[in-house]
Amino acid sequence: MKQFINTIADPIFSFPIFALLFFAMIKWYRVVGTKKFAWITLAIAIPVVAWFLADPNFLMIILWPDNIPISILIVLVSFLTWYPLYKAAENDKRLEAGEVPIEALPENREKVWAWPNLVYTELFTIIAGTIFLVVWAIIFKAPLEEPANPTWAPNPAKAPWYFLGLQEMLVYFDPWMAGVVLPGLIVVGLIAIPYLDTNPKGNGYYCFQDRKFAITSFLFGWMVLWVYLIIVGTFLRGPNWTFYGPFEYWDFHKVVAEYNVNLSEFLWLKWLNTSMPKNLLVRESLGIVLTLAYLVVLPWLSLKTKFGKEMFEKIGAIRYYIVIFLVISMGSLPIKMVLRWLFSLKYIVALPELELNL
Amino acid sequence: MSKKHEPGMAYDMSKLNKLFAFLSVGLLITTFWVFLDDYIRPWKAVQLEAMQIRKQKLQDEVKKASEAIDEEKLAQLKAQLAEGQEKAKVRQDEISKLQVQVRDLEREIKEETITNGRLNSQVGATTFKYEVANTEGKPEAPALLRKLHAFKEAFSLSRDKMKTLESELKTKNAAITALKKEEIEAAKAIEEITRTRDLLQMALDKTAITPVFAIRNSPFVDFMDPTLKIQQIVLNDITDDRYFVKVPKVDRCITCHTFIDQPGYEDQPNPHRTHPDLDLMVATDSKHPMKQFGCTTCHGGEGHRVLDFNSAAHIPQNDEQKADWIEKYNWHEPHKIAQPMLKLQYTESSCVKCHQGVEHLPNAEKLTAGWEKMEEFGCYACHKIEGWEHKRTPGPSLEKITAKIDKEFFKNWVWSPKDFNAHAKMPTFFMQSNNSKEEFVKKNVAEVNAMADYIWNKAEEYKPFARYKGGDKNNGKELIKEVGCMGCHGVEGWDEESKKVGAYSGPHLTGTGSKIKSADWLVSWLIKPDHYQEDTIMPSMRLTEKEANDIAAYLLSLKNKKFEALRFEPMDGEVRDEILVEYFSAFDTLEVAKSKVEKMSEEERNLELGYRSIGKYGCYSCHNVEGFEGRGGIGPELTNEGSKPLTQFGFNQQHHVVEHSRDGWIKAHLIKPSRWDEGLDKAFNVLTRMPNYYMTEKEAESITLALLGQVSEYVPLKGKKLLTAHEKIAADGMKVVNKYSCVGCHQVDGWGGKIVSMYDDVNEAPPQLNAQGFRTQTDWLYHFLDNVQPIRPWLKVRMPSFNLSSEERNKIVEGFQAKASQPVFVDNSQKVQWDAGERASAVKLFEALACASCHTTGFNKDPASAPDLHKAVPRLRPDWIAAWLRDPQKYMPGTVMPAFWEGGESLEQDILGGDAEKQIKALTKYIIELGQNEQVRSPLRKQ
Repeated sequence: MKQFINTIADPIFSFPIFALLFFAMIKWYRVVGTKKFAWITLAIAIPVVAWFLADPNFLMIILWPDNIPISILIVLVSFLTWYPLYKAAENDKRLEAGEVPIEALPENREKVWAWPNLVYTELFTIIAGTIFLVVWAIIFKAPLEEPANPTWAPNPAKAPWYFLGLQEMLVYFDPWMAGVVLPGLIVVGLIAIPYLDTNPKGNGYYCFQDRKFAITSFLFGWMVLWVYLIIVGTFLRGPNWTFYGPFEYWDFHKVVAEYNVNLSEFLWLKWLNTSMPKNLLVRESLGIVLTLAYLVVLPWLSLKTKFGKEMFEKIGAIRYYIVIFLVISMGSLPIKMVLRWLFSLKYIVALPELELNL
Repeated sequence: MSKKHEPGMAYDMSKLNKLFAFLSVGLLITTFWVFLDDYIRPWKAVQLEAMQIRKQKLQDEVKKASEAIDEEKLAQLKAQLAEGQEKAKVRQDEISKLQVQVRDLEREIKEETITNGRLNSQVGATTFKYEVANTEGKPEAPALLRKLHAFKEAFSLSRDKMKTLESELKTKNAAITALKKEEIEAAKAIEEITRTRDLLQMALDKTAITPVFAIRNSPFVDFMDPTLKIQQIVLNDITDDRYFVKVPKVDRCITCHTFIDQPGYEDQPNPHRTHPDLDLMVATDSKHPMKQFGCTTCHGGEGHRVLDFNSAAHIPQNDEQKADWIEKYNWHEPHKIAQPMLKLQYTESSCVKCHQGVEHLPNAEKLTAGWEKMEEFGCYACHKIEGWEHKRTPGPSLEKITAKIDKEFFKNWVWSPKDFNAHAKMPTFFMQSNNSKEEFVKKNVAEVNAMADYIWNKAEEYKPFARYKGGDKNNGKELIKEVGCMGCHGVEGWDEESKKVGAYSGPHLTGTGSKIKSADWLVSWLIKPDHYQEDTIMPSMRLTEKEANDIAAYLLSLKNKKFEALRFEPMDGEVRDEILVEYFSAFDTLEVAKSKVEKMSEEERNLELGYRSIGKYGCYSCHNVEGFEGRGGIGPELTNEGSKPLTQFGFNQQHHVVEHSRDGWIKAHLIKPSRWDEGLDKAFNVLTRMPNYYMTEKEAESITLALLGQVSEYVPLKGKKLLTAHEKIAADGMKVVNKYSCVGCHQVDGWGGKIVSMYDDVNEAPPQLNAQGFRTQTDWLYHFLDNVQPIRPWLKVRMPSFNLSSEERNKIVEGFQAKASQPVFVDNSQKVQWDAGERASAVKLFEALACASCHTTGFNKDPASAPDLHKAVPRLRPDWIAAWLRDPQKYMPGTVMPAFWEGGESLEQDILGGDAEKQIKALTKYIIELGQNEQVRSPLRKQ
C-alpha cells in the first residue's frame, strides 16, 4: 500500500488525479457542499492521517519546523473551500426554487453598529492571532540554520514555503518564465480581476451557478496550480529536488532517469531525420508557430463557441481578450507538465542563445 | 442570527465582554510564558548545581579547617582574651580619656588637611602668575612675589602643624594599645589560628542563597547584574570561519563546565569535573591556558552556543555514552555543523592544527601513535599529505628484484602477501569483497602475471659480491638478536621479543628461506645492503663474513612450505586482451582498440598490461619501478581530510552499517576499503583500488585520529605554534633520525627506543640519547656517523654504519645540537689549566671514587664495563661531563654510573674541602687531560 501511495504521489500521477478530483468537486459541488459529506470525509481522513503519521519517514517530514505552515494550510484550505461550496449549494437550491439567498433574508439585511460588532471582534481576532503566533514560536523554535557556507549549500535548497509553488514551476519552465513572466502574470491577473469581472451576480451572497466560470477558473489556478504545487514542493521534493514519496527515505543518492529533449530536436532529428538548421528562427520555427497559434488561434477559436460568444457579448472585446489571454497563460503550466511527462519535452521554443526558452 | 438582540447589535454585549476577558487572560498568560520560556535555561540549572557542589566542598573544607584548630589552645587564648578584656576594663577611665583626645586630634588633622590643601594650591597658582609677570616685566611682579612668599611660609607652617598633630595621635594611639595590650595580643593569636577557617567560611557564605541572590537572578530584573550568567572566553588570536568573515572565537563552554580550570573537582560528574590534564591544558600556568586557546579549538563543536546540551554539538565517544546522553539530554546528531565536537578519543587530532613539521609531539601519545601507524602502512606514498613529503619510499626497490626472488614467489606474494607473512606491511589488493567474482579474479590473475612480466623485463642485472658458504644457524639466530636487527625487524624465532619491540621499519623476517632465491644475494645484502639498493635505509652492521653466513644460514632455514607449494595460474591471453581492449577503448572505438591489440606481439601485450596495471594499483608509489619516475600517487590528497564535508564522503550502500560521521567513514574505510563497492554493480576498471591492510580496530582508530587533524581550518599565525629557527633545525634533524629508524633503538629525549623493552637491563640496550647535542661534540658526532667506532665495549648490540649523505649527517648533528639548545661546539683543545694542588686532588678523587674499576681501559687489564675515559675529549663536551657527574640518572635513567654527589653532598669530605662543585670541576679537568694526552699520542693526530 505504501509503495502504491509512493508511486501515485509522483506529480505524473498525482497531478492528473488532483485535477480530476478538482473538476469532480466542481461538477458535484452540491454533494460536496453538504455537512454529511464533510463529516464522512473527516471520518475517513482522521484514521488515514493517523496511519500516515505512523510512518517514521512521513513523520520526519511533517514535523520539520519549516513544513508546519503547510500542514496548517492544508487544513485551512480544505475547510475554506468546502464552506463556500456548502453555502453556495444552499443558496443555489433556494434560487432555483425562486427564493432569495439566505443572505438576502430580511433578518440578515438588518444593519448593525460597526462598534462593537466589527471593531471589537477584530480586536479579538488580533489577540487570538497574537496568542497563537507566540505559542507557536515558543513550542516550535525558529528553524534557523548555520551561517551560510558558500561551499556547502543545503540540499534540498528550498524557497520559503509560500514560494514553493514557483520553485516547483522551475522544473517545467525556464527560470525566466517560471521566475519572472508567470509570477508577473499572476500578480497582474489578480489585480485585473475586479476590472474584468463585470458580472453583478453573486454580490453579497454565496452562489455557484451565477459565477461558474469565475469560480472554476480561479479555484483551478489557486488549488491545482498553486496549493498543490506548494504541497509537492514541501513534502515530496527531497535532495536534488528529486521526487520522494511520502513514505520514502530521503536518500541523498537517489537518482531519477530524466533526459529532456527540445521540440526542435524532435522535429529535425527524429521526424525529419536531418541535421539541425543553423538559422535559429528556422530551427525553432515549429515551436514558434505553435506558440503563436496557441496565443492567437485559441482566442479566435473560443469565439466560435457558444460560451465564448455569450461572454464576448457580456464583457466586450478588450476584457474578453485579456481574460482569454490570462486563462491560456494559466493553461500553459499544465500543458507543459503533461508534455514533459509524456514526451520528456524540454522546451517548445529553445533559444538559449537569446536566453529565451518556452 | 436567529436570536434577537438589541437593535443594531449582532452579538450579546455581555458575552463579548466575557470573551474579551478570556482572551485578555490568555494573552497575559502567554506573555508570562514568553518570559518564563526565556528565563528557564538549562545552563542555569547547571550553575545552580555547581553552586551546591562548591558549597558542599567548602563546607567540607571549613569542617576540616575547624578540626585542624587546636581547641585547647583556642580555649586558652579565649581565656586570655577575657582576662585581657577584664584588665582593659579596669583601665577604662584612662582609655576613654585618651579616646576623646584621639577623636579631637583626628578632627584637627582633618581640618588642617583642608587648610594645607588650599595653601598648596595657592602656592602653585601664585607661582605661575609671578613667573609670567616676571618674565614679561610686568609691574605687579614684586607684589606677587611677596604674596607668594607669604603663601609659602603659611604652607610650611601648616605642614609643620600637621606633623606635630600626627605624632601626637600616634603617641595617644600607642598609649591606648599599651593599655589594651593583653586583649589585643590574645585576639591576634586567636585570629591567626582561625584565619583559614574564617576565610573559607566567608567563601561559603557567598554561596548561600540570600534574598539579594534571588532578586539579582529573578526574571525581568536579571538583565542588570545577575550572578547566574553566561561565561565566555573571547579569543582574538584564534578565529571562527563564518565563511564571509573570520570572527574571534567565542567559547562559552565554561558556562556549564564551571570548574574546568580549578583543581579539586576531579571526582565530580561532568560537566563539573576538572580538566584531566591541567598540567598541559586549560590551567593558567600550563602551555595552553584556557584564556588563550579556548575549548573548541581542540575539542571542536559550537562553543558559542549554550542553548542546551545539543546545541554545542557534543558527540558521544561510544554507543554506551550515546544511549546515556539520549536518555539524559535527549541527545540527537547535530545538523549541518561543519566541525562537530570530536569524540573524546580523537581530541588529540587537533594538535595537528598548530603543531606541524615535527616527527614526534611529546604529550600527544595517541597522535604520535597514529603518525607511526601511517608511517608503518605508508599512507603518504599513495596519498599526498602536506608535510609528509620528506618521508622515504615505504617499500623496497624492484629495479633489481630478479636477483633476489623468483617470479613464482613474486606473483604469489603480490596475490596475497598475508599468506606468506602474517606481519606483511604490503597490503592485499586481491580476493577482496569487491573483486572476488570469478570474472574479476580471472582479470586480476592476468594483471598480476603481466605486472611480473613487466618488472622482470625492466629489471637490471645484479651480481652478489659475496658467496654463501654455509654457517651455524643457531649462532645466526643469536646474532640477530645480539647485533640489533630487531630494532627494525621482527624475526621468526624471536616471536616474543618481536612482539615486545613492535619494530616496523624493516619487514618482519619470516619464511625467508622460501623467499630468497639466491643465498649469495642474502650474504651480500647482509654485509653491504647499499650494494644492492643504493638508497636503502638498511645499514651495514659491520658483520664479518662468518657472522653474515651464520645469519644467512638462520634466515634460509626459515621456510614456508605451504607458500612454496603454491603455483600461480598462468596468463590467460584472452582475458589479458579483453582488459587491454577496455583500456584502449577509453578514447577509441572498440574496433580500433581491438585492432590495436591484435597488432601487438604476445610480449608487447604482456608488458603493456603490466605497465598499465602497475599504474592502476599504484605499486610505484611504494616501490621504485622503472618507467614510473615522478608519477603522483593514485590516492586522493589527505591534507585537508579532516575538513572534508561529510556530504562528500561516499557511504554508498553502507549508510546503515557505517556511522554517519567523518571518523566513522575513515575508520570503516581503513578496516575494509572494499566495503564501499558492496551492493553496487561496478565495472572492473572502476572498482575501489584502496587495498586491504587488515588493520585492527585500534590501528584504524589511531590513523583516523591522525587524519582527522588534517584540517583546512585557518589558524592565525599568532595562535599557532611556530617553530623557532632552532626548533626548525631540531625538527629537520629528527626527520632524518626517524627516516633511518634511529629511534627504533635509541630513545631520543623520551621518544622511541622500543627495542629497550627486549632487554632486562637498560645498560645492555642501545644507549638513550637524552640531550645528545649537549653530550657530544659537533665534529665528533659528524665523523662518528660516517665511521662508527664502538664506545661502550660491553655492549653486544652494534651501532650500525648507515649509508648517510653528508647533508643528512649534518642535519642529524645540527638537529641534536638545536634540540639541546647548543648552538656551537666547545673548544676543548686548550691545555688544561690547573689551580694549585687541584690536580693532585683530582687524582686522589679518581682513586677514591674507584673510577678505574669500571672505566678500566688504559688503567688495568680488567674487562671494561664503562666507556674509555681516554677517548672523552673529542667526543664529550666538558660541561656535559660535569653535568653527568653531578646527576647521571638525569641523562640516562637506569645507568650503573653511580651518583657520587647526590644532593650536592660529596662522599669524600677530605678532598678539596668536601666541596662538590670543586671536586666535579677537578675531575672533569682530569678526564679532559686524560683525553688530551691520548690525542697527543695518537698516530692519527700526528699526521
